[in-house]
Amino acid sequence: MTSDGTALRHNAFVYETQDEYVARSVAFLREGLEAGEGAIVANTRPGLAVMREALGAEAAHVTFVDDSAAYTRPARTLAAYHKVYAEQLAKTPSLRAVADVQCGPDPDEWDLWIGYEAVFNRSFAHLPAWVLCSYNANGLPDPVVEGVWRTHPEVVDEDGWTTSDHYEDPDRPLRATTAEPVPLPELRPVAFGRDVEEFREQLARELVAEKVPEAKMLDMLLAATEIATNALEHGGGVGEVRVGRAEGRFVCEIVDRGSGFDDPGAGYLAPRKGAGTGLWVARQLTWRIDFFRSPQGFTARSWL
Amino acid sequence: MVWLMRPADRLTVQQERDLVIAAEAGGPDARRDLVEAFLPSIAGLAHRFPHGSGVERQELIQEGVAGLLFAAQRYDSALNTPFWAYASFWVRKAMQELVEEMSRPVAFSDRAARGLAQIRTARGEHLQAHSTEPTTGDLGRATGFTLQQVESLQAIERTPRGMEERLSAEGETTATVGDTIIDPVAQEEYERVLDEMEIGEVRDFAAQLGDRERTVIRAHYGLGQPPQTLSEIGRGLGLTAERARQIELGALSKLRESLAQPAPAGDARI
Repeated sequence: MTSDGTALRHNAFVYETQDEYVARSVAFLREGLEAGEGAIVANTRPGLAVMREALGAEAAHVTFVDDSAAYTRPARTLAAYHKVYAEQLAKTPSLRAVADVQCGPDPDEWDLWIGYEAVFNRSFAHLPAWVLCSYNANGLPDPVVEGVWRTHPEVVDEDGWTTSDHYEDPDRPLRATTAEPVPLPELRPVAFGRDVEEFREQLARELVAEKVPEAKMLDMLLAATEIATNALEHGGGVGEVRVGRAEGRFVCEIVDRGSGFDDPGAGYLAPRKGAGTGLWVARQLTWRIDFFRSPQGFTARSWL
Repeated sequence: MVWLMRPADRLTVQQERDLVIAAEAGGPDARRDLVEAFLPSIAGLAHRFPHGSGVERQELIQEGVAGLLFAAQRYDSALNTPFWAYASFWVRKAMQELVEEMSRPVAFSDRAARGLAQIRTARGEHLQAHSTEPTTGDLGRATGFTLQQVESLQAIERTPRGMEERLSAEGETTATVGDTIIDPVAQEEYERVLDEMEIGEVRDFAAQLGDRERTVIRAHYGLGQPPQTLSEIGRGLGLTAERARQIELGALSKLRESLAQPAPAGDARI
């Protein structure tokens, strides 16, 4: 248990050479294996191959995960890691993981992934996991390096472990990645109907009209069901529904009559006892969900 | 759609955006169209890798296609970066990683080499018999290896277990697309590359449902067919409308739970 009462330890590891990456990762995982913990390595194929070789016989006790295709959208990345951690925690009481972060080239998306690292602290706070996010320092953009220190309480590099003086409350970097919603006049109002089932029927007609691929239709039907259910149970009922295409994507807005919430982490918290999972489900199935207050009420805007 | 057959550099910004979004949505046709549109650019990047890097150009292109499809999953059209400017980073990265992986010296023990040979033979026989890639379980049953042994041996060669579905490639070609990139018949070569690759759907969420559950959901909401009322669906299945509704709610609940299973939290270690 960490000093702030969470089960999760989420630290960062910045390396400059492959030897450094391997030495520290292997030592970290071996220590855990000797204590009866599970071990997970997430990297692209070359990194995994190097780790397999370095771990030798112990590799048989480690779960290797090709994460090169996992870093698509933060909610989906969290869900993908959650699945792997859950499988491991069904076998061992706790786990250690080294995960190499796949940073992209576009400055506009760095904030998104910094926000991901921030919300990771909240998302998995209840899990007995020690996760080292590894970053290859070579070519790492300065904003991403700064982001590492803002989102991990401790960082280890060639000089050893350092407590980060720049670590922020997770909500702060996450808010920075939340864009101000703009009006979407291209959306059109549709009737909600008497209940969620009628709403789904109406939504399905709109999805067909907008030629949304069949595989994605079910994603939106399920996501919108979760949001509509929340609106009915916690938001005082559905006031308005608007749908249509914006920026090339199908959008569904559900406006409820309640006061809403102000939580940038909504929908990013991994499932746990006593907590709702509707928005966690909805985020996995959609490209993005914006929550905001408008003159009409509290709005959940889902992009497919 | 005729415009999709034009080279990527002739797509308008909006056309490119719509194509990327459609591909991200997972439809195999859209994904194929996206790959087709950018294959010349991918081949161009592959052409820049020096000969003798230990990797066939065809393999580089296939890896580049995987990079492109990954970029499509991640690219936000609201960003100011054109798609290819964004995607080329991932395409190049995928190719570089392949070269890195294939140029590592790997020392096989005799036992590992024999094991790998058995797995290759089993894979070939399975492909011939079933026209599909064998699973790890299939290979284990065919060779007598445990799943872990199969995975360990496969890891020496190529791909470990992935968190998300990846593009698979099959078939062989002696053509080097990069060599024909300025050749007017290059389009024909690109068609061969596309034909030899499987560009499947990213995910079939509904695959975990039972046949009847899938029937009810698809019929009620018009997924790939005209929508029906629950009464009509029930009549078709010999059920009441209410029973059809219960099946639907059960299916939705099953899908929801598949995405919302909590992890065992256990006791924290200090």
